[in-house]
Amino acid sequence: MTSATLPAVGAGQSSSKPSAIRPGRILLYVVLIIGALLMITPFLWMVLTAFKSDLEIMKFSWLPSELRWRNFTEAMQTAPFLRYFRNSLFIAVGETAFTLAVCTTAGYALAKMPLRGGKMLLNYFILLLLVPFQIILVPLFMIVKSIPLFGGNNILGHGGIGWLNSWWGLIIPLGAAPLFTFLARQFYVSLPDELAQAARVDGLGEFGIFWRIMTPLIKPALITICVFQIEAAWNGFLWPLMITTSDTMRPLQLGLAIFSQNPAEIQWPYLMAGTALATLPMIVLFVFAQKRFVEGMANVGIKG
Amino acid sequence: MSTTLERPALGTPRKVAPAKDRGTLLRSQVRTGWTLLTPALLHSGIFIVIPVIAVLVLSLTDYSFGDTWSWVGFGNYSTLFRDVDFLASLWHTVLYAIVVIPISMAISLAVAIGLNQKIKGIGFFRTAFYIPTVTATVAIATIWLWIYNPGSGLANGFLSLFGVAPNRWLADPATALPSLMVVGIWQGLGTKIIIYLAALQGVSRDLLESADLDGASRWQKFANVTWPALGPVQFFVLITSIVGTFQVFDLVYVMTRGGPGSETRVLVLDIYQNAFQDLKLGYASAETVIMMIVIALFIGVGRLLQRADTND
Repeated sequence: MTSATLPAVGAGQSSSKPSAIRPGRILLYVVLIIGALLMITPFLWMVLTAFKSDLEIMKFSWLPSELRWRNFTEAMQTAPFLRYFRNSLFIAVGETAFTLAVCTTAGYALAKMPLRGGKMLLNYFILLLLVPFQIILVPLFMIVKSIPLFGGNNILGHGGIGWLNSWWGLIIPLGAAPLFTFLARQFYVSLPDELAQAARVDGLGEFGIFWRIMTPLIKPALITICVFQIEAAWNGFLWPLMITTSDTMRPLQLGLAIFSQNPAEIQWPYLMAGTALATLPMIVLFVFAQKRFVEGMANVGIKG
Repeated sequence: MSTTLERPALGTPRKVAPAKDRGTLLRSQVRTGWTLLTPALLHSGIFIVIPVIAVLVLSLTDYSFGDTWSWVGFGNYSTLFRDVDFLASLWHTVLYAIVVIPISMAISLAVAIGLNQKIKGIGFFRTAFYIPTVTATVAIATIWLWIYNPGSGLANGFLSLFGVAPNRWLADPATALPSLMVVGIWQGLGTKIIIYLAALQGVSRDLLESADLDGASRWQKFANVTWPALGPVQFFVLITSIVGTFQVFDLVYVMTRGGPGSETRVLVLDIYQNAFQDLKLGYASAETVIMMIVIALFIGVGRLLQRADTND
């Protein structure tokens, strides 16, 4: 960086560098490419294994001798992967809808409504950000088990299983994380109050202003919340493991884990085929929503 | 929803002249505000606040799903400190955190600095480093289980190219925990890189340029401009890493179940087994409280480190 010749008063072209190829630059690319390969190789290895035969995997090799596409269909038959897939999708969609409804309304109220103790309420949600789910594992299970009037429970929450083994239990308790309320609030805060004022003059009610005027303007936040929540729901494991006992409601990750329970009997090509299918949707989602996802992540990090 | 909101409150005239009467407007805003906020308050109260309080109370009981239970005071805690499984879990979790956090923070910062040099193909690199983060830990664990396979896994296959003798990785007590740490570091890079990258882009251009004018070396610029500017972000990354590493479960559950022996037993696994296999909910709650205290201690040390760093 010895060649900082122009002090660059204008902000834009502050670092127009000479395009000479320097050895440091090449080294940088080499290191980064090796790093990127280290990140991708396990996934490549997964896909390659998914095409191999049982015999082939007895010895280490990179490439499969032929592309056995039927591994994928056969893997789908050895475990009810299709059902797991559908369950995961259902949980992801349900949880995302629930989160959007609860977190946008709360975020808007925190950002724009003149509530007494509003600052304290905001701090309350920020404080909750710090509570990891693992900490409240045991009591959360008990609360879900004693939801009144569900699963054979009486009005006091005794006698039955409450929300255990139910879609309610899978979706509601882990939805609407305080993180998303906070995120929505950050976006609403930045909208100008004049917009709401103008709508009020036009005779729109307070709820109408929230729903029809302000919320459409924070679309980037809504997308961020959706992507985050879908990823979280799709990848969840411990909670479904705790509260489901029947195969009919189990999500994909649980299916995979059960599949790999006994190392001695694992059929690796099938397991890798199943894992590839389980992984693919989230990678596709990420590649499409990449820019937004990254921005949201970075914003949470910096403002948090 | 909107019908309940538009219903006129007691004493207010039916048709409010828009935006005239400030008192009425304020009242209707307050009413709407609380209505909008209530679901989130109820949800967080029931599913976060009550459980946090409950875990403290439960830890003083011998509750185990049955109808009868009694107070045991600090009995659970004194039992815990003689429980070899718990002590092993605590030790492994702390060890895991101490190794994984600094290494992954250092690598992430280095990669982020690299990516911040106006690199070509930034989208590719960002995706590559981030994919492990968006992939389910169970899937990651499954893939690495296969990579670590002693017979024909990638790890031994790759190392044999360099003449390294095959290793039993997860099955060998000496290498089991380090093998898990490698996966933990590998998976956690993406988030940290993205956050560091965003922070690096926020480092003041002016300061860097005036450092250039003063003839500062690359290293001097990093130490005196970039590093101090990263302070708050470092702290955020540190806190989330601490909370994250203490939560490690999926990885261990799929890859080793705490084995061989109890060489990779970690806190959440032990809590899970005590609570949901042995049904000792009171005991598991006491364990959770200890985990909270250890996390708080780690965060406290992190704050001290940060303060020492910024006071220079």
